[in-house]
Amino acid sequence: MIIEINKLTKTYAGRKVTDIEKLTINTGETVGVIGNNGAGKTTLFRMLLDLIRPDSGEIVSKGVNVAENDQWKNYTASYLDEGYLIDYLTPEEYFIFIGGLQKMSVRQVMDYLQSYEEFFNGEILDRGKYIRDFSKGNQNKIGITAALMQQPELLVLDEPFANLDPTTQIRLKAHLKSLKSGNLTTMISSHDLNHVTDVCDRIILFEKGQVIKDIYTNENTLEELEAYFSQ
Amino acid sequence: MFSTFLRHQWTAFWRSRNKGATIAAQVIMGIFALYLLGVCFLVGFVMEDLIYKFMPDKDVFMVFNGMMLYYFAVDFIARLQIQELPTLSIVPYLHLNIPKRKLVSFLQFRSMLSVLNIFPLIIFFPFCFRNLWPEYGGFACTTYLVVIFSLVIFNNYAALYFKRVSAENIKIVIPAILVVAALAGLEYLQLFSIASFSDMLFSYIADYPPVGLIFPVLAVVIFLLNDRYLKNNLYVEDLTAGEEKKSSTDYPFLDRFGAAGTLAALEIKLILRNRRPKATVTKALLLLFYGFLFYNRKVLENNDFAKMLFAAVFMTGNTILIYGQFMFGWQAAEFDGMLANKVNIRDFFRAKFILLTISASLLTVLTTFYSFLSWKILAVHFAAYLYNIGVSNILVLYFATRNYKYIDISKGAKFSWEGVSASTMLLSLPVLLSPYIIYFPLSIINPYIGLIGIAIPGIAGLFSRSYWINFLVREFEKRKHKIAAGFRERS
Repeated sequence: MIIEINKLTKTYAGRKVTDIEKLTINTGETVGVIGNNGAGKTTLFRMLLDLIRPDSGEIVSKGVNVAENDQWKNYTASYLDEGYLIDYLTPEEYFIFIGGLQKMSVRQVMDYLQSYEEFFNGEILDRGKYIRDFSKGNQNKIGITAALMQQPELLVLDEPFANLDPTTQIRLKAHLKSLKSGNLTTMISSHDLNHVTDVCDRIILFEKGQVIKDIYTNENTLEELEAYFSQ
Repeated sequence: MFSTFLRHQWTAFWRSRNKGATIAAQVIMGIFALYLLGVCFLVGFVMEDLIYKFMPDKDVFMVFNGMMLYYFAVDFIARLQIQELPTLSIVPYLHLNIPKRKLVSFLQFRSMLSVLNIFPLIIFFPFCFRNLWPEYGGFACTTYLVVIFSLVIFNNYAALYFKRVSAENIKIVIPAILVVAALAGLEYLQLFSIASFSDMLFSYIADYPPVGLIFPVLAVVIFLLNDRYLKNNLYVEDLTAGEEKKSSTDYPFLDRFGAAGTLAALEIKLILRNRRPKATVTKALLLLFYGFLFYNRKVLENNDFAKMLFAAVFMTGNTILIYGQFMFGWQAAEFDGMLANKVNIRDFFRAKFILLTISASLLTVLTTFYSFLSWKILAVHFAAYLYNIGVSNILVLYFATRNYKYIDISKGAKFSWEGVSASTMLLSLPVLLSPYIIYFPLSIINPYIGLIGIAIPGIAGLFSRSYWINFLVREFEKRKHKIAAGFRERS
C-alpha cells in the first residue's frame, strides 16, 4: 500500500468537491480516476500533491501525511496542467531543470530523452522555440515526459490523453503499459473510458467528490462504465 | 455601453483577490488627493499674495507666466510616474459585437477621469478670473482658460501615449530621458530657462490671444495620435512568435550556489525572456539618474545626508523594491509545478536573496559615477547598499509571502499597467522610510554616525541571513496554499 486516504473532505463555495471516507492505493497498481466535470478528480490530485489544503482528513503517502512533510517529493512525479511548465524555457532547458531537481546530470537527461525520440515525433527537441510557443498537445508531451523522466515510484497524471494527437495517444498508452513493473504506482484521470480501461488495472469512479465505483478492470468494465455514464 | 464597462471594472475591483490591500491603498491615495486638492484650492485663491510675498520685486504676471510651462513639465513627469493606464482588460470584449471604435473611445474617456486633470484647473483658474480679466480683458482671460485646459488634455494623452509606446519599446525611453536630462542641464547651467521661455510665450498670448489657439490644436493632435495607436494595437497578441531560433543558455557562474543557483539562473531567464519583467528591470536602470534631483553642492557641503538617503536607498535597491514588490507573482504561471516538484523552499528563498543581492550590487557599482560630484556620495550609497541587501530584501520577501496576485509576464504593459503606479509604491514606504528612523536620532551626534547606524542593521541582516531564511520559509509554508490558489486565478 502506498497511498491511504482517510476522511478527506474539501468544500468550495458551499459545495463538497471531495468527500472520501477511506481509500487505499496499493503499490504497483495503475489506477484510473474517472468522473464527469466537477467530480473532484483534479482537486483530489492537487490535495495529493499538497497544492491545496483539505478541509479535513488526510492523505498519507508511504506512511507520511503529505501536508506535513515533503518526503513524498522524493519519489513522486506529476503533471497536472500547463501550470507546471516554465513556459519561457526551451524544452531542453526545462528537462535539464527538472532532471537537476532529481540530481540527474545534463548528460543523463539528454541520454534519457533519446529514448523519447519516437514519442516526441521529432516535434519537441531542437526546435528553437520556447515552451510557450508550442501547441497545447506538444506542451502536454513535454510535461508528461518531464514527469516520466524522474523515474518515480508514484506517477500522477491529470488527463494525459487530452489534446494529444491519435498517434501520440496510442504511443503513450503503450508506454504507460510498458512501465507496469510492480514498483511503479500510477494514478491517471481521464474522460476517455476506452483509454483508462485499456491502461488501468483498477478504476475509481467519482461523482460529486464521492467514490461511486471502485472496480478492478475486466472485459466487462468498459460496458459497465458506459452504461453508468449514459444514464 | 460605457456604463457597462465602468460597471465591469467596478465589479472587478470589488471582487479582486487582493481586495483588502487594494482598497487600503485606494483610501490612502484618496485622502492624499483630497488634501492636495484643498491645498491647490487655497494656492489658487491667494496666488497673487503668494507671489508678492516670495518675489516682491517681480511682476506678478511675469512670475505667473513663467510658472506655467514649469508646472506642466513637472506635471508631465509626475504623470509618467503616477498615472495608470486605464486597465479595462480588453481581451474578453474584442470578439464580441462591440465596434472597436467604442472600445478605443472608452479607453480614451476613462483616462480623463484622473485627479491629475483637476489640479491645474483649480490652481490656475482663480488667478485668471481675479487678476488677468481686469488687466487684459475677457478675451485674453478666456484664451488662458482654453490654453490651460488644452495643456491638461495634452499632458494627459501625451503621458499615456508615451507610457504605451515606451512599455512596448525601450528604445524610445532612453532618448526621451536624455532630452529631459539635457533640458535640466541647460537650466542648471543657466543657458536656457523654461521659466523665461514660458514667460515669453504666455506674455505673447496675453497680448495676442488668438495665438493661444495652437494649444487646442496640439491637444487634438496628441489625442488622435493616441487614438490611432490604440486602434492599431487592439489585437489579442501579435501572433508572430518564434521567428528567430531560441537557444538554450547557461549561467555557469551561478553553479557554485548549487540548487539555489539553478533557481536564480531560472529567474534571470524569466526576466530576460519576458516582456513585463524585462521592462521593469530596464526601468531600474533609468532610475539611476534619480540622484541628480537630490544631490547638489549645498546638500553635500552641509553633510545633509538625510536629503540624499531617499535617493540612495532607492537607486541602490530599486530592483529589490520594484521587481521585488510583485514577487512571487512573476512565477505565478508555473507556481504549481514549483510546489509539486522537488524544489526545496529554502533554496527557493536563497535564490531570491542571491538574485536581489547581485542586482543591488550591480546597481551600486553603476551609481559610483556620482562620485565625480563628491566622494561623500559613495559613503551614503554604500550605507544604503548594506541596508538594502541586509534589511530591505528581507522586508520585500516577507511582503511577497502575502502577495496572491497573478501577473501575466508575457503581456508587456500595453493594456495592463498592472501595478507599476502609486498604489503599489505604497508597499515600498516601509523600506524607504525606515532608514530615516535610524538616521535622524544618530545624525544629531554626527551625520557619519548616522550612516554607520544604517549600515549596522544591514550587516546584521547579512550575517543572520540563514535565520531570516528560516523565518521566511515558515511564513511561506503558512500561506503557500493561498498563494498557489491566488496564482491559479488568472484574471
